Amino acid sequence: MPKILRIIPLLENLLFFWLGLALVLSLAGERLEIPPVLQVMGRTHPLLLHFPIVLLLIAVGLFWVAEGKLKTAAGQLLLAGANLTGVTVVAGLLLAAEEYGGEALVWHQWLGLISLGLSILIYFYRNESARFLKLSTLTLAVAITLTGHFGANLTHGEDFLLAPIQSKETEFVAMEDAEVFRHLVQPILEAKCIACHKEGKIKGELRMDEIAGLQKGGKTGPFVVPGDLNESLLIQRINLPKDNEEHMPPKNKAQLTEQELEILQLWVASGASLEQKVTELKQEEPLFRFASEKFTVEKTYTFKSASESDIKSLNNFFRKVSPVYPGFPALEVSYFGTSAFDPSSLRDLKKISGQTVKLNLNRMPLGGVDMGFLKDFENLEELQLNFTGIRGGQLTVLSRLENLKNLAISGNELGDGAVTELGKLKNLKRLFFWQSGLDDNQQEELKKALPQTIIDFGFSGKGLLYELNAPKIGIEAAIFKDSIELKLSHPIRSTDIRYTLDGTVPDSSASPKYSPGIWIKTSTEIRARAFAQDWIGSDEATVSVFKSGIKAKEVSLRKDPIPRYKANGSITLIDGIKGKANHTSGEWLGYQLTPLEAEIDLDTGQRPIELTLSLLYHESAHIFTPEKVNIWLYTGTGWDKVPTEIPSQPTKIRETRFGLLKYPLPEKEFSRIKIEVIPVSKLPAWHPGAGSKGWVFMDEILLN
Amino acid sequence: MEKEILEQGLNHNRRKFLSRLSLGIGSVALGSLLIPDLFTGKQEAEDGLMLALPHFAPKAKRIIYLFQNGAPSQLETFDYKPLLVKNFGEELPESIRGGQRLTGMTSGQSSFPLVGSYFPFQQYGESRAWISSLFPHISGVVNDLLIVKSMHTEAINHDPALTFFQTGAQVGNRPSMGSWLSYGLGSENANLPAFCVLLSRGKGNGQGVYSKLWSNGFLDATHQGVQFSNSEDPVLYLKDPQGMSREQRRKMIDQISVMNELNYKEFNDPQITAKVQQYEMAYRMQTAVPEITDTSREPDSVVKLYGPDCLVPGTYAANCLLARKLSESGVRFVQLYHQGWDAHDNLPNQMIGQAKDVDQSTAGLITDLKQRGLLDETLIIWGGEFGRTNYCQGKIQLDNYGRDHHPRAFSIFMAGGGVKSGMVYGETDEFGYNITENPVHVHDFQATVMNLMGIDHEKLTYKHLGRRYRLTDVHGKVVKDLIA
Repeated sequence: MPKILRIIPLLENLLFFWLGLALVLSLAGERLEIPPVLQVMGRTHPLLLHFPIVLLLIAVGLFWVAEGKLKTAAGQLLLAGANLTGVTVVAGLLLAAEEYGGEALVWHQWLGLISLGLSILIYFYRNESARFLKLSTLTLAVAITLTGHFGANLTHGEDFLLAPIQSKETEFVAMEDAEVFRHLVQPILEAKCIACHKEGKIKGELRMDEIAGLQKGGKTGPFVVPGDLNESLLIQRINLPKDNEEHMPPKNKAQLTEQELEILQLWVASGASLEQKVTELKQEEPLFRFASEKFTVEKTYTFKSASESDIKSLNNFFRKVSPVYPGFPALEVSYFGTSAFDPSSLRDLKKISGQTVKLNLNRMPLGGVDMGFLKDFENLEELQLNFTGIRGGQLTVLSRLENLKNLAISGNELGDGAVTELGKLKNLKRLFFWQSGLDDNQQEELKKALPQTIIDFGFSGKGLLYELNAPKIGIEAAIFKDSIELKLSHPIRSTDIRYTLDGTVPDSSASPKYSPGIWIKTSTEIRARAFAQDWIGSDEATVSVFKSGIKAKEVSLRKDPIPRYKANGSITLIDGIKGKANHTSGEWLGYQLTPLEAEIDLDTGQRPIELTLSLLYHESAHIFTPEKVNIWLYTGTGWDKVPTEIPSQPTKIRETRFGLLKYPLPEKEFSRIKIEVIPVSKLPAWHPGAGSKGWVFMDEILLN
Repeated sequence: MEKEILEQGLNHNRRKFLSRLSLGIGSVALGSLLIPDLFTGKQEAEDGLMLALPHFAPKAKRIIYLFQNGAPSQLETFDYKPLLVKNFGEELPESIRGGQRLTGMTSGQSSFPLVGSYFPFQQYGESRAWISSLFPHISGVVNDLLIVKSMHTEAINHDPALTFFQTGAQVGNRPSMGSWLSYGLGSENANLPAFCVLLSRGKGNGQGVYSKLWSNGFLDATHQGVQFSNSEDPVLYLKDPQGMSREQRRKMIDQISVMNELNYKEFNDPQITAKVQQYEMAYRMQTAVPEITDTSREPDSVVKLYGPDCLVPGTYAANCLLARKLSESGVRFVQLYHQGWDAHDNLPNQMIGQAKDVDQSTAGLITDLKQRGLLDETLIIWGGEFGRTNYCQGKIQLDNYGRDHHPRAFSIFMAGGGVKSGMVYGETDEFGYNITENPVHVHDFQATVMNLMGIDHEKLTYKHLGRRYRLTDVHGKVVKDLIA
């Protein structure tokens, strides 16, 4: 016999020691007083329990299959296991005296004792009969399993084992139904606290599984003091450092997340109400924010979904039908494309009339359309009818839509009867009612009829005076031969456009009002302004047009322009194209160092009486009025000089603009004209570039 | 010996091999049960089966993004810093700047004198938000606004910063925000593009905008932003040419489709199908667009609301009006750019002009959507690509100064579309230089915007060149505080 086996008798005897001790402790129950040293021993229970379970189960297994030597080993294992069972049971009983109670404990305790008893019994009678052995070991295995299960329930909470496969009803709580305690706070208590504070394991004499328990509080005081974070034990404990023994949840248990911690504090701070609804909170409150993250703002719907194929068949380029939320039965419908709208297509919606919660018909021409189809839309919550041309009389059907919350009906001349019809919609929360053709009295009447509804009358613009923008002149600066049509327009159709052709500023009364069909026959400056009621008259728009009645045969340049500004060469001057108000546009001939010298050949029979130079002025770019213009006429015998006035020079810098220099020509026969346009030789003293040479830019020579 | 080899061979017969293999396969199968999307999930996303559906209930259905290109100064608009006025001309403490890198434009400056706003501030609305005198109309709708004063970005120059805001990356070639949303949510109105772009330019110092900002990147070409022309004819070449009837046009497109189809069968290039779809879209746009761009039926009060400029094509105001019309017709994402905010010098003057361009029409757009009952489902975003420095660039005068680029803190605002209203979020230090409270990174902003549209920014991905991409790259946190 190996030495080690000598302890077998000792262990056999020890079995009875455990049994006796266990019985005593169980029967003593409440009367036990456990000294702290033994409490420590009791708390080793959760550690110890694993050993006997393993040993006993292996032994049971061996008894079932093994023969001979192995069977002996099984007996020894059983002995060891039974002893450890004893130790564990005793420790467990000590622990139970601390703060446990309830049904699960009773089961766990007595099943543990039975396991102990059974294992001892089996040990001593293991060689009696094979049948007894099989039956009893089986019973032992069952007892151990059950003991373990109830023990786990004590520690982790009821249904710990099966929770993952039990159908969890993910509760879809709508914002409007949600309660602060029931839906925000309680779930946290259930998840993180209740395992130790409930019937069966009332740690610290605090029960959190029923409201009464929370109101009663625990061993050391009340659970919460409404509004007082410092006095509330709940808040104290959860905020203690994690290593503190009083910290809740205990160190080794699942901890509160930051958000949970905050929710609990906010709840207590706000008075720890057990009834308050989330919707009673103010929007800025953090609790409201947490709630809005958690609960669907969307209403939950109980009606049945429409069939997929129906939804599919209703979708086309001009109508969109889709669920408001993936997987929700509620649908929203939008119409697009005014010109493609077919009123009869509204009847197709009957298939989904029960599921449609939102219908957008904005801008669809609904005037005169029978809106009766809406009567089946019992779940309709939002209806958009902006700018549809709908009339008050068509709205009778709306009073049957009990769930209608939002109605947008802006931009319609509703007319009489609208106030009566809309006044019936007592459930309406919001009414968008801008530009609806009702006078102030009718609006007041509507407000009185719907005291619960927020009505948005929108922006009327009344009393606001803005300046109109200038009208648009449909012709650009142009050169014309005989006549040109005056084209004026303004984007706001209610405006009057007034214009002048004589260089005066147009005003709202004396100047002629524009209407199409006016032709201009001479060079002139068109000036126009727009006027309208409730608006300030616009700025001026101006455009100059130039008449070039005689088109010269040919023109040649005697001196080349500066190469960057040579446009199309000499032809530029008689091409009938007016340059843009920008000297770099490529339509202007530019001279600085030399004068512009040109010779014009006339066709036979052409007798111009006036020569006009079309120039560009832009002082800041050194482009000035010419210093001097000389004109000669070829009469067949020689060049006759025509007397010319010296042009007046600008006295300050102004914006870029066109300029005309007109020279009358004497009444005599001539076939050619020569001109010399001399740029300013020295810019005047007031100019930043004083002293340097000026420029001349010319785009056309006009003969009339 | 030989016998052993033979036995060894016999032991490893086919039956044994198969039976062992089956065990192995069994264990693999069992293990794979624990990886739910091993065979399905990702495949689905790539096939686009799960697309065109939001991931959760959307708060906003459409976005109008009023991008203020060039970066408006937060210190003259929403971030009120009296200290800068008080300490005018004093040196910016190094402790505040913290060695931050500067652009090449001011890094050579020997001093960084603080400069306060030329424009006075006042408090408005329930949120008592500080808004400068530049925005009289915007301050009038303050109760609808959510002002975020704690935006920050990584880029310091316009191009990367803009690209970062729009595509989530500083380098080009990624899809724009609008393209992602078009890809994720599809179009509401099948007759219009889901993503439209409108450009305007103010008189202030401008910075370019380029088509890469509304590029579809690696997404299908149908998700590209469609740029509208800022002329009287916003979509060019939309009319049928003279002598071409609608029926003939239809026939022509049908024939082209047949040919493209043949081409597709041969080459399998998805660009071909995209092209066919775009021909179809253009055909439908021929009727849809004129209805939208016709402003002649807008009531007078609308013109007063946006300001008379809204009828002058190409202005910011006109684009705001057009944006509303596009948006209410179901365009998911309307992107405006208004250039001219890059005030390195002459800032007060430039800002007066820029603010005049945008103030009334921005406020008007918000009011207009509201009175039609559409503000709740339309998200408006106003803001630039970064902020401007609290110190002066160039010469400093009380009424004439400049500000350089500042990525560390700037302000934007949003309205409608499920964001909180009447709220100011985030705070900067008294120098307006660093964020002290609730920072919002560009990626956080993008994640939040997508969340408002019902999209989980981590789930909307596209596989390209062997990796999955998303708008927020690998960053971004939804800022729940901003969501109503």
